[in-house]
Amino acid sequence: MLRMLGNFFSGNRKFIPLMSTALLALVAYGIGAYFFVGMRNPQVFFNLFRNTSYLLISGIGMTFVILTGGIDLSVSGVVALTTVASAVLLRDGWNAWVVVLLMLAMGMALGATMGSFITYMKVQPFIATLAGMWFARGMCFFISDDAVTIDNPVFQILGKTKILIPGLKELADQQGTPAPYISIPVIVAFILLGIAIYIAHYTRFGRTVYAIGGNEGRNEQSARLMGLPVNRTKMLVYTFNGFCSALAGLSFSLFVSSGHGLYAPGLELEVIASVVMGGTMLTGGSGYVFGTFFGVLVLAVTQALIQFIGSLSSWWTKIVIGILTLTFIGVQTVLANRKSGKTTQNTQELMAVRRRQQRLALGIGLLVILAGVAIFSVFKFRSGSSNQAEADTQCVVAPFREDEAANLVKNGAVIVYHRTAGPQCVDELFAIYPDGRITGSDGIKKVEKQIAPEEVEQLLTAISVDHQWFTNEIYSTYLNPCRQCFAHYIDISYNGQAKSATGVDGTTAMPPGYAFALAEIRPLLPEINPAP
Amino acid sequence: MKKPTKQVLTWRKITESRLFFPIVALTLILLFDFIFIPGFFAIENREGNLHGSLIDIFRNGSTVMILAIGMTLVIATGGVDLSVGATMAIAASVAGILMNPSALKNEVFFITDPNYTFQPLWLVITAALAVSLICGLWNGVLVAYMRIQPMVATLILMISGRGIAQLITNGLRVQITYKPYAFIGQGWVVLPFSLYLVAIVFAITWFITRKTAIGMFIESVGINFRSSYFSGIDEKKIKLLVYTFCGFCAGIAGLVASSNIKTSDANNIGLTTELDAILAVVIGGTAMSGGRFSLLASMVGALVMQAITQSMYAIGVPAFALQAIKAVVVIFVILLYSDQVKGFVQKISAPKKEV
Repeated sequence: MLRMLGNFFSGNRKFIPLMSTALLALVAYGIGAYFFVGMRNPQVFFNLFRNTSYLLISGIGMTFVILTGGIDLSVSGVVALTTVASAVLLRDGWNAWVVVLLMLAMGMALGATMGSFITYMKVQPFIATLAGMWFARGMCFFISDDAVTIDNPVFQILGKTKILIPGLKELADQQGTPAPYISIPVIVAFILLGIAIYIAHYTRFGRTVYAIGGNEGRNEQSARLMGLPVNRTKMLVYTFNGFCSALAGLSFSLFVSSGHGLYAPGLELEVIASVVMGGTMLTGGSGYVFGTFFGVLVLAVTQALIQFIGSLSSWWTKIVIGILTLTFIGVQTVLANRKSGKTTQNTQELMAVRRRQQRLALGIGLLVILAGVAIFSVFKFRSGSSNQAEADTQCVVAPFREDEAANLVKNGAVIVYHRTAGPQCVDELFAIYPDGRITGSDGIKKVEKQIAPEEVEQLLTAISVDHQWFTNEIYSTYLNPCRQCFAHYIDISYNGQAKSATGVDGTTAMPPGYAFALAEIRPLLPEINPAP
Repeated sequence: MKKPTKQVLTWRKITESRLFFPIVALTLILLFDFIFIPGFFAIENREGNLHGSLIDIFRNGSTVMILAIGMTLVIATGGVDLSVGATMAIAASVAGILMNPSALKNEVFFITDPNYTFQPLWLVITAALAVSLICGLWNGVLVAYMRIQPMVATLILMISGRGIAQLITNGLRVQITYKPYAFIGQGWVVLPFSLYLVAIVFAITWFITRKTAIGMFIESVGINFRSSYFSGIDEKKIKLLVYTFCGFCAGIAGLVASSNIKTSDANNIGLTTELDAILAVVIGGTAMSGGRFSLLASMVGALVMQAITQSMYAIGVPAFALQAIKAVVVIFVILLYSDQVKGFVQKISAPKKEV
């Protein structure tokens, strides 16, 4: 039995990273479902796909690039540029489908440009694509400084259509729960995945891609000598990734239904991490497009777990992803060295090196497992001691009441301040009027009080002049608030100018000026829930 | 007859010098500023301290200059360090939290007392630099001993580094009001204090790389690490050394940056500065594939970057849009140095020589 298992593993060694990723995703989800009742909800499972459709789309393109031994760091820039450009074009009344086609063409053009620098000018891939990212991000701000909302009906339909799952709908109807659903971008991502698997494994182009990558660029030379169209293939791969980035950008803008140049920071790192976790070698030449799917799934489960645990802030995602990436790269390196060790002569020295590497890999693996256990036990301890974990998972973050805020502004309020989320799931809305009247509620009790009108004037000048509320320094940030952080919405009108912006604290995602403005407003409202 | 040949020789020496191109670029940019931006070169004397746009270029460029010193050595060994920005953030977070630990209690605490600090300054600086040294050491171990590609190895710290920095500051932006600390980035002793820091780091590095054999070892590892190994150079230790040193430089840069804005902001300190640093080195003529390097040329490269930034600000290009312009500059510079273009230029100039 054991031997069979051993034979199976050594025979399918190339599948080990892929299988371990799939297993990791399943186990992580299983652990989550065991500890958190909310995670057993089928909708939470389908949300894993819904929230990461853009990641999967972009991961597919990245897999091809990495297979050729290159890398593309421009993903997040192109995604942000797509959101901004499409939002602005739609605002100017362009046809939605024309915009979609234009965006895809733009992505391909950007990809092709970077590809030509890499292929023909021999610029290192990461430099060329880094420049590409800068360029794309910079262009966003030439197009628009502020976030532009998308209210085009076609985009709304594309983004908000719920596609019910055939078998589960009836089941949900029987139980009287809302039927779980996925969205159109998810379907698009899966179609793209299917096409990409076909291209990678069943076409001449796909085989050329595999032939180019690996062995520190030496395979590229071999491929060239074999007469494979290396240059054309590389160009096509970068163009395809540009296409994928633009498609991911469109899917992202459907997801957040707005466009801004600061969206998706560090997305390329998440994409690369999921490709690596999917078992694709960063040196190229070996890996599976399907593996990327599992890599994205691991990422999605990690994010979901961290959200459900609640006492952990969102930056833990970054750390966990970093650790996972390192582990997978470590395993890859060891596997690669084993492979190369077999082909060369089997001297004792080589064996020693191999043994050392095995020990190193084992050590790292143990360390990671230990760290995981330690972190997990810390949660257990924490959540056990506070007894709040169960209540936290039931809490739903209230959406911003923007319409209500707009009404208050219409009625003469100069500052409208809305705060939601946090450990107690507060939902506070306050309005400050020029005559010093402050009204509002903290979700439990109503508060009404009076301050001096001069104080309001002081506040307004402080926020708009000192902290430059009406400049580009203040912008809305998009971020899923964790349970511990607060999401703020501030609407300020002063001297004929009006601007509202949202921000999330707890992580430092809000612009600095926003935090200062917050610090000016908060002391006026000592009655309401203090920060935890 | 001897005179002209001597002149030709010196002219050739000048054009072939690594400093030639960066200095020409800097001169061109400054010339542009001189023509289009009135008062760019005005330097005023405020209470014995010199202020002005030109000084600002040096002052704001000091972080990139410090980073460029470490990055030059890393790139000279044929590697690259993408994690310097994250390391800056980590160092700044450590320093911030040691001076104002209120964030640990999960509250944004606005201190107004300029003399308040939780730990003494020497401890703050030592701790921040020690942590950044560890970051560099980590990169070095991954690259030298685990044989992971430098870009990938440092990418890991780039991903998780900001997470770690946020972990240290509990995800909050830590206010720093402690006066002596602010002096690092904002103080003036005739010239900005950060410039003296740059000078000290530069002088030490220059001495170590040019007056001892280490500089030659680094270049030799960059040109061919295998033959360096066979000629008795411990290339692993050299790599470990340069990555550790690069982390250390990033730590100093993080201190300067955080004291400059009086906050340690885990999300924004050092964001995309790794690119500025790499670019400065590339403009300085050090090839990305490793080999010969020139610290001074890298410094001029950093100044070129800062001069571009400063003059774009002066014309009124928004901060974020500036990236697009920088990107074009990067590609232009890299293409200028690339073998393809060099070959092309040689092709053009070759027939002329024959005539």
